[in-house]
Parts: sequence; C-alpha cells; structure tokens
Amino acid sequence: MDFVTQSVVLGLTEYAPLVLAAIGFVLLYRLTGLINVAYSETITLGAYFGMWLNTSFGLDFYAVLFPAGLMAGALSVATYLLIFRPARQRNVGVLEMIIISFGLSIFLRYGLQFIFGYPVRFYDVPPPETVMILGVGVSSFRLLAVASVAVLALLLYGFIQRSSLGLQIRALASDENLAQVSGIRPLAVTVLIWFIAGVAGGLAGAFFGVASAVAPLLGWRQFLLILLVVLVGGSWGLGGIIVVGVGTGVALAAMTLQFGQALYAQLALIVVFVAILKLRGRRLTEMGKV
Amino acid sequence: MTPDWLSAFLISGLFDVVMVMGLALLLHLQLGLARIANFGVVGFWGIGMYAFGVLFVKVDWPFGDPWQFLVCAALASVVAGLAGLLVGWLIADLDTDGQLVGTLGFATAVLILATTEQKLTGGALGMGGLDIPYDVGSVKDNEFLWLVIVTVVVAAILLYVWRVHRSPYGRLLIAVGGNDPLARSLGKPTFRAKIWLFALSSGAMGLLGAMYGVMVRFLDPNNLGVDVTLAAMVGLVLGGTARVWGGVVGVILSVGLFDIVIQNYLPLPREWYTQAIPVLREAVFGAVLIVVLLLRPLGVLGDMRRDQLMRRLHGR
Repeated sequence: MDFVTQSVVLGLTEYAPLVLAAIGFVLLYRLTGLINVAYSETITLGAYFGMWLNTSFGLDFYAVLFPAGLMAGALSVATYLLIFRPARQRNVGVLEMIIISFGLSIFLRYGLQFIFGYPVRFYDVPPPETVMILGVGVSSFRLLAVASVAVLALLLYGFIQRSSLGLQIRALASDENLAQVSGIRPLAVTVLIWFIAGVAGGLAGAFFGVASAVAPLLGWRQFLLILLVVLVGGSWGLGGIIVVGVGTGVALAAMTLQFGQALYAQLALIVVFVAILKLRGRRLTEMGKV
Repeated sequence: MTPDWLSAFLISGLFDVVMVMGLALLLHLQLGLARIANFGVVGFWGIGMYAFGVLFVKVDWPFGDPWQFLVCAALASVVAGLAGLLVGWLIADLDTDGQLVGTLGFATAVLILATTEQKLTGGALGMGGLDIPYDVGSVKDNEFLWLVIVTVVVAAILLYVWRVHRSPYGRLLIAVGGNDPLARSLGKPTFRAKIWLFALSSGAMGLLGAMYGVMVRFLDPNNLGVDVTLAAMVGLVLGGTARVWGGVVGVILSVGLFDIVIQNYLPLPREWYTQAIPVLREAVFGAVLIVVLLLRPLGVLGDMRRDQLMRRLHGR
C-alpha cells in the first residue's frame, strides 16, 4: 500500500507539468496533424523566460508565470506565421514539415544559448518546505505546481469543450472546409490555437524549470514522453490526454521506485508505448488527428 | 607517410566529414528513396559504436589485432543490423508520425542503456581501451591511414547506393516511397523491402559507429547527442534527398564548412572554438533545414534525373 501511495503522490507531483505540456501539444496535433518537434523548445523557452523575469526583475515565481506563458505563446504564434504557415502554403509534405520543425527545434535550442548563455541556470526562489501527503514528503512548491497545473488544465479543458471559441477550434480541426463555410475564420482560430498551445508549453516549462534547473535540453528531454502520451491518449480527446498523462507520471514514479533508476522507468515506458503503437497500427495516429 | 600540410586537427575534421557523408548516404536510402522518417540515426550508429566497444574491451579474445577489430566490427554491425530489423518491423507499416516515435524512441533507448549499464559501458564516466588496430608509425600516421580506410568504406557505400538507384530493388524503394498502397496492390513486397532496407542500412550505420569509436578511442554518452542525426540530415537535405550525390555534396557544404574551413582556416579567437562555434554550427544547421525545405525543397542538386527527364518529356 505504501508503494502505491508513494507512486501516486510522487507521480502526480513530479509529472504534473507533463500533462499541461501534452494538452498544449495535442491541440496543435489535432488541428494541423503536425508533429511539431519545436514544441519542445516552447517548453524550454517558457522555463528560460520565467527564469529571466525572476532573476532579472526579482519577481516572485508565481508573478512570472503569466508573462512567461504569454511570451511562450507569442513565440509559438511567431513560428506559425513565419515558418509553418508559409510551408503549408507551399504544400510542403508531412515528412518535410516534421523535418522543418526538427530544424526549428535545433535552431531555437542552440540559438537561445547565445542569448541566455551556456551554463545551466536556476530560478531564484526561497527553499521550499516539506509537506506530508499520505505519509509521503512533498515540497510545498511541487504541491502548488500540481494545484496550478490542475486548475490550468481544467480551464483549458473547459475552454475547448464548453466555449464557443473552443467549438470553433474543434470544428476547424475536424473539417477545415466545412468550418470555413460555417463562418469560422481559419487564420484567427489557428493563431489562437498556436497561442494557447504555446502558453501551455511555456507554463509547463516554467514548472519543470523551477523544480530542477533551466537547461537547453529541458524540453527535449520531455518531448518523447509528451509525444507518446499524445499519440496514445489523443484517441480519447483531451480527457484521454489527462488520464494517460497522469497514468504516465504515476507509472514512471512507480518504476523509478522499483528499479531505483529513473532512466530504466523511461526505457520501460518507451517500450510499452511503442508496443501499443505497433499493436494499434495506423489507426492510432488517424484517430489522434480527428 | 602523412603529407606535411595535413595536421592532426585536419585529419580529425576530414574524418568527421567522411563519416557523416556515409551516414547521409545511408539516410538517403531510407528517407530519400523509401521515405522512412529515421530521426534516430544516432541510435543505430551509437549501438554499433558501443557494441564494438564492449566486444573489443570486455571480451577476452584468443587473437589480437587486426582480427580482433575485424571480428568485433562485424559483430557490432550485426547487432546494429538486428536492431534495424526490429525497429524496421515496428515502424514499417506506421505513418510518418509513428516512424518518428519509433526511431526517436530507439535512439533514446540506446542513450539510456549507454548511461545506465555502467558495468558494460562505463556509464557517464565513459569507456576507454579502444585503439587503431595497427601501428604504422606515429599517431598521426595511424590516424591518416584510418581516415583512408573509412573513406574506402564510405566510397563502397556510395557505390552501393549508386547501384541501388539503377536496380529493380531501387525502383521498388522509389515506388514504396511514392505510393506504398499502390505498390502493394501491384503485388510488390513493400513491407519486406522496407524492413530489409532498414536492417542493412542500420548495420552499415553501426559499422561507421564502430570505426568512429576506434578513431576517438573513448566512448561516452555525450557522443550520442542529436547532433549526429542532425549533421546527416542537414547534409542530405541540403544536397538533395532524391539524388545519389546529394548527401556527399550537402555534407561538404555543411559539415565541411564548419569542421574543416572554420575550424582550421579562419583566424578566430581560441575560446570561440570550445563553445561558440559548436553552438553556432548546430543553430546554423537547424536554420539550413528550414530555409532549404521552404525555398528549395529538392536541395542543391534538385530532383532525380529520371524525374527531370519526365518533366521535360511531358512539358511540366
């Protein structure tokens, strides 16, 4: 019982930002069908933006979340307008679009080192207190991160599922031509989606960054897990992403406790997810898109 | 034996160029012809490098070099080929997204195993004990001869790729890349063609990884970064994914520019070479992928000759 409790508490607290990042990623994936590798850099830059605002202006971590999210969202929109939209207008193929996003990811990852410097950076935050949850010690900071991620995820879920703009987003993702005939402006809605996805990724990055360190590979190290969560959970919509994302976090924590090595847990999860991918074949990604 | 003008630094740069050229040629078969999205080149290259290292250092062979090298390199290629067979089987019937996940997942798995299996690989501390399997004089002479040997191997890969382009097998791969369901409906064994292609080309990537391990003599997980995949992909895309010589021309223009021209001939401040130039190299490579695919998607060399001919004949 202790093992289960520990796995659930640690999984929820350590991997909560993964769920937020996956929700942002799946919005783009469902709308465009594009695996945007550069999304990993949206996460990284969210962490860097937050760290920069925190250390340069002396702002509290929670005060930097909003501007860091906005900056990551603006960057996400800029990449769409400057790169992905022109590429789509030129009828660039699916494989080439992924390679472009891979190139953009590399460009941003190494380009940001010229701006923020080469060393690993840290947020300037006071040392967190330890709070006991079901007998498991969790830092107050991670607990607040879980609550924030839960609220943000629910807000995003509500926005996409309940609001009229959310309806437009889902309509555009299902059938662009039909949505256009219905009076939906594809450009405005698409820009909105890239912005929301960027905000979600940036906030996830800020949470990841403050919990450990801010480094150029921060987002890339999470990318494969996010991708797997989206491809497996995306079939059941946003709810599926949240369930699979939370399940992934708990499974990672449980396996880390079992093996005593976080990398083994990641390896096991990669094997399981790729096996699911193989078993479900082409249907998987097709369902994820529509 | 080694020409005076060829410094040890230049030999190292030329080795990198030739090795990436080999990887780009093999990636051309996968991505350029069969349109299999392999974003895990470094995984196949790395598994060959580490398999070679483990076999060479940890196994007590009853014979010495050059047989020890030859046996270990052959076995490392087989290990990489088997990994290619497995990954190929996993992803051959998936679409591009699934192929991305499968190959990226494999590369991540290799990195994780290289880091965690400390008893075998030395983990993050790395593994030494590798050396060039002959002694013809100075270290520089040995490395120069090793560069010549790797060049011969890459020339053999180029010849193989050139022959594939002109063979029924090459036409099958082009058909698979162009329209897999159509080729399958015509009775072509597309699944089998893809997994054998993946196994063979991955085995060759593993051989190049083993040869790289011999050159650097020390293996550590930092060698398994995304920059290996990036260099091969940039070279191929820049030169032209559809052309035999695309990888060769593209790698000369990209890796050659940075690893030879800038590293050896530009009078830049010494401290730039440790961090600024390598970081700039990767950022520029990323930008090249974007610019080329947006403005000249067929690369410097353009489309295949047969497609150019078809366009001329049909006036399109």
